[in-house]
Amino acid sequence: MQSLRQAATEAFHRLGLKQRHLGYEELNDPADAPYSPEAQPHWFHTLQVRRLRVQRSRSNSDPMGGKNFENEFQWKTGLQFGTATSYLNLEKLGEGSYATVYKGISRINGHLVALKVIRMKTEEGIPFTAIREASLLKGLKHANIVLLHDIIHTRESLTFVFEYVQTDLAQYMTQHPGGLHSYNVRIFMFQLLRGLSYIHGRRILHRDLKPQNLLISYLGELKLADFGLARSKSIPSQTYSSEVVTLWYRPPDVLMGSTDYSTALDIWGAGCIFIEMLQGAPAFPGVADAFEQLQKIWAVLGVPTEETWPGVSELPNHKPEWFLPCEPQQFRNVWKRLGQLPYKTEDLAQLLLRPAPRDRIPAQDALLHPYFNTLPPPLMHLRDTVSIFKVPGVRLEAEARDIFSPGGRIKPSHTPLTKCW
Amino acid sequence: MKYPESAECRRLAALLEDALARERRLWKAPVFKNHRIQGTDISSFQHQDAILWMDELSQLFKFCPETFALGVSIFNRLLASVKAQQKYLRCIAITSLILAEKINEEDEVIASVKDFVNQSGCNFSTAEIVRMERIILDKLHWDLNTATAIDFIHIFHALVTSGQPRLPQRRHQREPFFHTALWIRQVQHCMACHQLSQFKGSTLALAIITLELERAAPDWFSVFTDLLKKAQVESVELIRCKETADELLSGQELTFPPNALYIFDGGSVARGHPELAPGGAWGRVSHAGRRRRSQAQRKEKDAAEYYDGFGCLYDQGVVPADIGGDPPGSYTPCPPLQPPVS
Repeated sequence: MQSLRQAATEAFHRLGLKQRHLGYEELNDPADAPYSPEAQPHWFHTLQVRRLRVQRSRSNSDPMGGKNFENEFQWKTGLQFGTATSYLNLEKLGEGSYATVYKGISRINGHLVALKVIRMKTEEGIPFTAIREASLLKGLKHANIVLLHDIIHTRESLTFVFEYVQTDLAQYMTQHPGGLHSYNVRIFMFQLLRGLSYIHGRRILHRDLKPQNLLISYLGELKLADFGLARSKSIPSQTYSSEVVTLWYRPPDVLMGSTDYSTALDIWGAGCIFIEMLQGAPAFPGVADAFEQLQKIWAVLGVPTEETWPGVSELPNHKPEWFLPCEPQQFRNVWKRLGQLPYKTEDLAQLLLRPAPRDRIPAQDALLHPYFNTLPPPLMHLRDTVSIFKVPGVRLEAEARDIFSPGGRIKPSHTPLTKCW
Repeated sequence: MKYPESAECRRLAALLEDALARERRLWKAPVFKNHRIQGTDISSFQHQDAILWMDELSQLFKFCPETFALGVSIFNRLLASVKAQQKYLRCIAITSLILAEKINEEDEVIASVKDFVNQSGCNFSTAEIVRMERIILDKLHWDLNTATAIDFIHIFHALVTSGQPRLPQRRHQREPFFHTALWIRQVQHCMACHQLSQFKGSTLALAIITLELERAAPDWFSVFTDLLKKAQVESVELIRCKETADELLSGQELTFPPNALYIFDGGSVARGHPELAPGGAWGRVSHAGRRRRSQAQRKEKDAAEYYDGFGCLYDQGVVPADIGGDPPGSYTPCPPLQPPVS
């Protein structure tokens, strides 16, 4: 107990947070949560990389920070889910457009949790992003979808309690620059497509795929997070806002103003992330606007014509005359890493990054692509809620480069699943 | 790259299975006793009235039918979970619709609570609605995203048109055979009826489709039995639902909202939209203060759906002319119509 208090106190001092109780902070006063108007647009962990460098070298194998909470902390009995007093707030992880995320610990069972404190607008009630996220996640139970444990809803504040996941793909790629181990790319990609196949099978689109929204546990489990922009979709294609999806991961049809997109929207994002993991740099890093973004894409895929993409000329912002004519490139000539890997890697990338949405491979079919043949066969038949790391022989390989331990390779974790997950 | 039809069918079957599971988990309807919701002072008439008002509001704000259906499901689930007082009925109704809107509608369509309150003409304060929002979310454990009758209409429609179960040959090839737009309208209409609110969305959707199949397809029975099996609906339940729906729907000629205004659009004659059958583009403007649609495409799609609906009405003899069998490109007496606001 003593050390827990001490750790929490230190965390609060470091962050300059007001401390109202010895060792922990209650969650029922959102006014205490620091709010900056230039908040990071995406809530999860964006601040963590910097802090991690000074606080500790990130060790995937040590989620509890070296402390054995169970022995030192008497879990209170009689505590219930749904109340703020059941959670201790440990440290701030990041700030998003509509929420602040803290690392916390459940006093009910000792699990680490991520506490997403939603800012409430009194005039508008609960933000639609929060309602969407919670109501969708309530129906989604899958090993590759972040788990929503609990909702604490009082008159003044709203907090979602998620499972705690150490890092995200953006941070992971920052920590291991220059492209990831090809085996790790394969298991991340498999999990990403597995999660997408699950939600797409339920006609739910994520609509905001990017490395920051893919959480990575110390074992290497990948989990789709941040469903604030997701929505469920009935069969006939409806119109969706074209203002979703960060520009870099946005498919050309949406960039050209198409609004009747479907699951192929997320598939394009998955393709971009695939290249980014291999290459260590974003596939299409446009800077200015949709035009520049399209230019980057056409430079690789070639400017589409009615022959290569029937219907393209009917898209609202189809302006082929604005672009210099360019021919489709071999992916391996653009992204050199593909040239060093077996052909099927490039083949999968090409199936994911087709310009015409209807040509993009569905997630379910992509899982059967020969690229994944080298993974153990039982992976194909797992129940939804079972992690791929339950299959013997599946584990993260050591990455070649690590900015936290530049001297040598870090050992991947072989620690069995702790009770935190 | 083409994907085999069977894969699509497998996906549809999985989708149906998931929707049924969600419905099984979440569906709940208020119990009526002596024309009142059991244990409350809410009469079946008031219940129906509240749902009709939700329908009105959802048309006023141009919500998609899915939003209305989700709103009604939230409304009914809450009434089944708590003993509500009649004076809060409308507050529950409007808040249910606001919650459905927040889940289902695009960001730019979502009206602020204040606008919603002002335009709906109800006399609740935003504070009351925000408080009700919290109560509904807590009572329903934030688990709002269920499958509604409209979702099932889409799934069954996809199953029937994708050939699983395969449908017999159409009478006229060009005749629009399945009219989801009309079915959806019928479902919306049925949802207000308190007797029909006792049936699950899957049962109601199947009943409406069966009524149409009986009318239009000579060999409807095999299709029907197959759908019945897939939807895991009890046949006794379905027959009861179908009879009630039939009574309700044949009692009145269900058309699109009254006072619709149509304006001739010469442009669309020349454009020759391939999706639209010979008549050209139809659109509709209701008298209620409409919100401008943000996406032109949506408008066109709606127009196509409304056209489908009209085609069906012709087919049912509401309007004697049958334009369904016209050869492509032929002249029809009806000019293409378009809403005046773009």
